[in-house]
Amino acid sequence: MERLSNNYWKGASKDAPFRSAGLLADKALLTVLLGSICVFVLWPMVCIALRSFRDSGGGFTLDQYRGVWHTYGRSLGNSLFVGALTAFFCTLLSVAVALVLTTSRGWARALLMGVLLITMVSPPFVSSLAYIQLYGRRGWITYRLLGLRWSPYNQWGVIWMQSVSFVPLNAMFLQGILSKLDTGSIRAARDLGASPACILRDVVLPLIRPGILVSLLLSFIRSMADFGTPTIIGGRFNTIASDIYLKLIGYSDLEMSAAMNMFLMAPSIAAFFLYRRLMRQCNAITAARQDRQAALDLPLSRCGGVGILAILVSGLFFLMMALQYACIFLTGFLKVSQGAYAFTLQYWEQLMKYNLTSLWRSVGYALTVSLAGTLFAMLFAYYMERRQVAGRSFFDCLVTLPYMLPGTCFGIGYILAFNAPPLRLTGTAVIVMANMLFKQLPTATKLCSAALTQIPVSQELAVRDLGGGHWSGLRDVILPGLRPAFLSCFVYNFSSSMTTAGAVIFLIDPGRQLAVFRLFDAVYQGEYAIASLIATCIIAIVLAVEALAYLITMKAGSRHVS
Amino acid sequence: MYLELKHIHKSFGGRPVVQDLSLGLDRGGLLCILGSSGCGKTTTLNMIGGFLSPDAGQILLDGEDITASPPEGRPVSTVFQSYSLFPHMTVLENVIYGLKFRGVKRGPAREKGRRYLEMVGLAEYANARVYEISGGQQQRVALARALIVEPKLCLLDEPFSNLDAALRFRMREELKGLQRELGMTMVFVTHDQEEALHLADRVAIMDQGFLVQEGSPLELYRCPASSFVADFLNLDQLVWGEDGTLMKIIKKGEDF
Repeated sequence: MERLSNNYWKGASKDAPFRSAGLLADKALLTVLLGSICVFVLWPMVCIALRSFRDSGGGFTLDQYRGVWHTYGRSLGNSLFVGALTAFFCTLLSVAVALVLTTSRGWARALLMGVLLITMVSPPFVSSLAYIQLYGRRGWITYRLLGLRWSPYNQWGVIWMQSVSFVPLNAMFLQGILSKLDTGSIRAARDLGASPACILRDVVLPLIRPGILVSLLLSFIRSMADFGTPTIIGGRFNTIASDIYLKLIGYSDLEMSAAMNMFLMAPSIAAFFLYRRLMRQCNAITAARQDRQAALDLPLSRCGGVGILAILVSGLFFLMMALQYACIFLTGFLKVSQGAYAFTLQYWEQLMKYNLTSLWRSVGYALTVSLAGTLFAMLFAYYMERRQVAGRSFFDCLVTLPYMLPGTCFGIGYILAFNAPPLRLTGTAVIVMANMLFKQLPTATKLCSAALTQIPVSQELAVRDLGGGHWSGLRDVILPGLRPAFLSCFVYNFSSSMTTAGAVIFLIDPGRQLAVFRLFDAVYQGEYAIASLIATCIIAIVLAVEALAYLITMKAGSRHVS
Repeated sequence: MYLELKHIHKSFGGRPVVQDLSLGLDRGGLLCILGSSGCGKTTTLNMIGGFLSPDAGQILLDGEDITASPPEGRPVSTVFQSYSLFPHMTVLENVIYGLKFRGVKRGPAREKGRRYLEMVGLAEYANARVYEISGGQQQRVALARALIVEPKLCLLDEPFSNLDAALRFRMREELKGLQRELGMTMVFVTHDQEEALHLADRVAIMDQGFLVQEGSPLELYRCPASSFVADFLNLDQLVWGEDGTLMKIIKKGEDF
């Protein structure tokens, strides 16, 4: 007995050098994680602020701000106007869609989820593309069907398109809250005699109020930050974001665009802190009770005016989505000759000839970012959740910030931060991928943190109790427990990387085009058929990769069970 | 009989949960359904409350068949196990919520609400938020909310299970007092034998979906229908006389 324990002790002492090396590696890893967050999130923002106050000689000036105020005051007003209306309409649509989604069953629900899934993996600009095709000057509906002659290029088009295209994310978010709502409150209200209409008005809607506010806030900020829609269908109507796009792409005026960006960045950061507060309230609602996960039992058709409105509004939304995607899939294969449509493969061949490289490059970037981003998010979530890291809340805040940061800010920030030594990255693939990675890190980290909370801390303590260090805990408990999160993280990163446009458009080297930007150019130049085909390809690739990922999890899951 | 359950059946996905259950209760009485978890007691309560509909059988209340009416259409109110208070309303708003559907104007409703809050000893908390008050106080709000609509029948689903022992004891006394004062008919579900014997006028013991025995606490205590009931009531040994009557009861852990 004594010899045995002696041997154990000897083993431990032999392990000691490895253990101190491990400790060193642990510290080094943490430093790399936190350091890169400072460099790739904080530093670019600081650069924007500094540059906006710099005059041509390098001194301090407020000229840029005066310039922005005089020249772009109108655009700022437009941005606020569009943002407010978009937030309102989008939230209205989202609440309706979420209610219908939560209360419907069976095939109806599967169909609705399917439509939302496709919209979520679609590249941006597709709704603008479909809008022009369906409701434009030569639109299938407005011109060919109804014989109208009108110009769709105005602020109302922008508001409508933004409202519709922000719905899927908001609706999914609200649906998540609705489905986790405390069913007890609803039962109690029924028990006391409340009709479905009263339950909806008195209990359900007040309970999800923080969620509705988050939806308003996110839509407002997204609308302010969106430069694509106003550029494509705004016509002569400019917002501050579309002006920044022109200033940067057209004139390369960095000082001025930095100052313009400050007008977007400051409200976004303010909105971000409001957002975090509201999200805490949302979590409180859904964390209230997690046993008895009965679905929301609320027949909308019996919910009075509000219920009928929700059904009608979401019906309209799904009809528009169906038209939109039918239009996109058809546009690529139809050709007008003498006023009649005919099937053609002409555009498909054109695509195969000229655009294939950008498509493959997109896939390559997306795969790299997905793998690196997922690994980064897992490690970061582990250090934040499980280890006492100094300045935890600061880094947590910093890593979440890009979620709200407009794409123009994040893009120009990278240009300013990385166009000079020691980190001269502009024009490389690295800057593009880093930008994607850090833009997606907030959501990826959240997915991993959520999975981490499912792993009891005691398991990790057990590893240490039995003689393993932090590394053993990470390897034997944390990483295996994070396997489901790995997949959802990977899928999220992949689809975002394939469809992102906001920030990356300013960083991309003309020689290294990505599919999304070929799409943007094609829409902008009126090559609608090519644009539709690129959009279709992107959607098909993302769906295929997601399906593959789910098949792998199901396989792994079934192996796990047996 | 004021409340009558006739041959109730209920199964979930082919698994029978309640089988051929028949029960009755007089007006103003307190019936306690007692059993261990999974015996079908909460399912029974949910069927009386209207949250589940029985596969077969009838539920009569005050001579009226309520088997098919939805929860909002029954003169029955429930105190839920987790209270299910509305987190976005104040204490008073919670209490008077049900009056809204009975055509009571806001002024009189608030007045009545205050009276009921006074009755449960929470008058000074009227404007507090429900998450600001303690568990026992939440319990009382839930009770006041259920009683204020003057239901014909009040259901309580393990209402004291989230409270500590001392508080549970006090709430038990309060509930009994309130029930007598209002003459309220109540059905109470619990797995706690002592609580059941202490509170109830009638006790119904359930096991695996069947009613095993129904009677007054004294009857149960004196003549358990089976060894299961005896075990469940924590009666360790029974001494029988030569003529077959119960001579002596010795509870578990007690000395001879």
